[in-house]
Amino acid sequence: MINFTQEAGFGLRRRKRAEARFQWAGRGAILISLAFLVIMFASIIGNGAGVIWQSQIAVTVDLSAEEIDPENIGDASFNSLVKKGLRDAFPEVEKRKEKKRLYGLVSTEAAFEVERQIQANPELLGGMQTLWVTASDDADLYISGQVDTDLPEVKRRVSDAEIAMLDKLLEEGLARETFNRGFFTNGDSREPEIAGILSSLMGSALTLLVCFALSFPLGIGAAIYLEEFAPKNRMSDLIEVNINNLAAVPSIVFGLLGLSIFLGYMGLPRSTPLVGGMVLALMTLPTIIIASRAALRSVPPSFKEAALALGATPVQAIFHHVLPVAMPGMLTGAIVGMAQALGETAPLLMIGMVAFIVDVPTSVLEPATALPVQIFLWADAPERAFTEKTAAAIIVLLTFLILMNLIAILLRRKLETRF
Amino acid sequence: MPDGTLIITRSERPRWRDNLIIAVMAAAAGVAILVTLGIVLSLVFETILFLKKVPISNFLFGLEWSPQTAIRADQVGAEGSFGVLPLINGTLLISAIAMAVATPLGLTSAIYLSEYASKRARDWVKPALEILAGIPTVVYGFFAALTVAPFIRMTGGQFGLEVASESALAAGMVMGIMIVPLISSLSDDVINAVPQSLRDASLGMGATQSETIRRVVMPAALPGIAGSLLLATSRAIGETMIVLMAAGLAAKLSLNPLDAVTTITVQIVALLTGDQEFASAKTLSAFALGLLLFVLTLIMNVIALRIVKKYREQYD
Repeated sequence: MINFTQEAGFGLRRRKRAEARFQWAGRGAILISLAFLVIMFASIIGNGAGVIWQSQIAVTVDLSAEEIDPENIGDASFNSLVKKGLRDAFPEVEKRKEKKRLYGLVSTEAAFEVERQIQANPELLGGMQTLWVTASDDADLYISGQVDTDLPEVKRRVSDAEIAMLDKLLEEGLARETFNRGFFTNGDSREPEIAGILSSLMGSALTLLVCFALSFPLGIGAAIYLEEFAPKNRMSDLIEVNINNLAAVPSIVFGLLGLSIFLGYMGLPRSTPLVGGMVLALMTLPTIIIASRAALRSVPPSFKEAALALGATPVQAIFHHVLPVAMPGMLTGAIVGMAQALGETAPLLMIGMVAFIVDVPTSVLEPATALPVQIFLWADAPERAFTEKTAAAIIVLLTFLILMNLIAILLRRKLETRF
Repeated sequence: MPDGTLIITRSERPRWRDNLIIAVMAAAAGVAILVTLGIVLSLVFETILFLKKVPISNFLFGLEWSPQTAIRADQVGAEGSFGVLPLINGTLLISAIAMAVATPLGLTSAIYLSEYASKRARDWVKPALEILAGIPTVVYGFFAALTVAPFIRMTGGQFGLEVASESALAAGMVMGIMIVPLISSLSDDVINAVPQSLRDASLGMGATQSETIRRVVMPAALPGIAGSLLLATSRAIGETMIVLMAAGLAAKLSLNPLDAVTTITVQIVALLTGDQEFASAKTLSAFALGLLLFVLTLIMNVIALRIVKKYREQYD
């Protein structure tokens, strides 16, 4: 005869263990996903934080009237002035190869920087002046302590001779690390130490402006029509299914649409924020429509009924009484859509917003690039110093996304407490 | 003038204006249809041009993808071979890896969040998981290429495995993490829609909570979960930036996750960035790939959305 009590007792213990295992599996899955998030953020911040500091080297240049004509500052050869200043600081350097290394300590942009400083402060002219210029990317790696001197020379980016020169500069206080303003005020550059995010940031802002100006009114209009006025027939069903499917179409397909219709058929200018914004607007439209419809649905019908009972037309009832109440919800949807658009890269690659842009774009018709595309371009660049720039640009992008989402969450909170 | 006339003229005036406003809003709703139409027309039009240069059987069943190199100058389709199978192979391999990572993680977290977690824990964990969905894919791509791929290469090297520096595994794993919140939030909705009475009945019969979930809740939620997995797969197939940055450009027929493979989306980007002559078979093939991608994901989305909708109605 089977002892039921005993059987049940054994079974119970096994089943309770299974229960605990099951719960731990759930906790484990969540932990793994969140751990990945933390590791990714830590890796990016670790890689990108160094961008806050930038190395500079002091060069003593001869700005007497023999070298520079005060009337015609632009005619002077600043390049040779900087080189001469470097040679004077290291008189022992004579061989051609070593001189080349010496010149390589400062950025190729150093001459322009000297010129700009003199243009801004003409009173510097007339004698020897010690000016700070940006160090090259390799010198910056050493000054910021990212070069492992224990490695054999061939495995390092910075040679022993360069290290000796940099050590001397550091000892004499002629090399320093300062706040890297250039990263936020420069455009892109082939030289990693000069490259900044301003041009791509402006490109993103202009693109989002176009995107918002198109998708917000279109999205709200469509949402109001579908929610309040559309007759329930096959046509409105079709639109509904269509919008849901559109939200799941791969973003790169929107890029192909933009390439073939906006650029190919309509002949709009390539690589511009105008076209980028239009493509992103089509992409974010479903998000905004879906969120706006949900916002309209959350307004109690009594609002509309009261207005109708007092003699308002349906359009008046919606625009005067339902829309203002639904607005925070619609804005939330729009901000979430804009955040999506801000992070989008693939469709912009299709319409040529991958150009190398040095100048900061000022209108939606100038060629531009966007922040995520800049990240993609820098991630592909071979120079080691661009890895740091890439990570720093990602930090900037994520900061903007977090801000936008915070605003959306605050708006949603406000909406939720209404009723 | 008597008051009555005034009222009539006032209510007469807005009528045409109201109709105009409604018409404008209806047109806005029509834009959504226009977009779909635009996508289909532009892709189909360019694809037809492409198929005039390359026969459809070569495209769909060809085993070699090398749009750049001509073998002989006077051959048919002298600009290279356009066999799409290696690309489909790579796309499916990476998506399969992504789903192998995302399905267990997403489903178990959804079950835990909907059935076990306290409301406070849910209020914290759910938004934290949603962050994963809000991070731009270019960031995942950077992380995959900079950190995950070298890590897998190194680990593989210690076990004597030869890992390509741009392995399918790295791209697929990172993509899998990206998809976790999509699966978990969709499945969460589905699991929550299972009527409480089913749970109560099972618990009342003496089943433990995990037995209830495994034998009652999950079977009841299965169609909806299948729909959410299908949507996630379609998302993985259409993903571009992660694979562009972390997977390779080499078109290869391989099922080895440690190999470098390429995907449909990567090839579209590769074909259309840089110098291009517009009417060449090489450029046009990108649109044929785009159409393939669109049709593939559309079929999956339509089925998935229909399943999810039907499932919701079943328990409403």
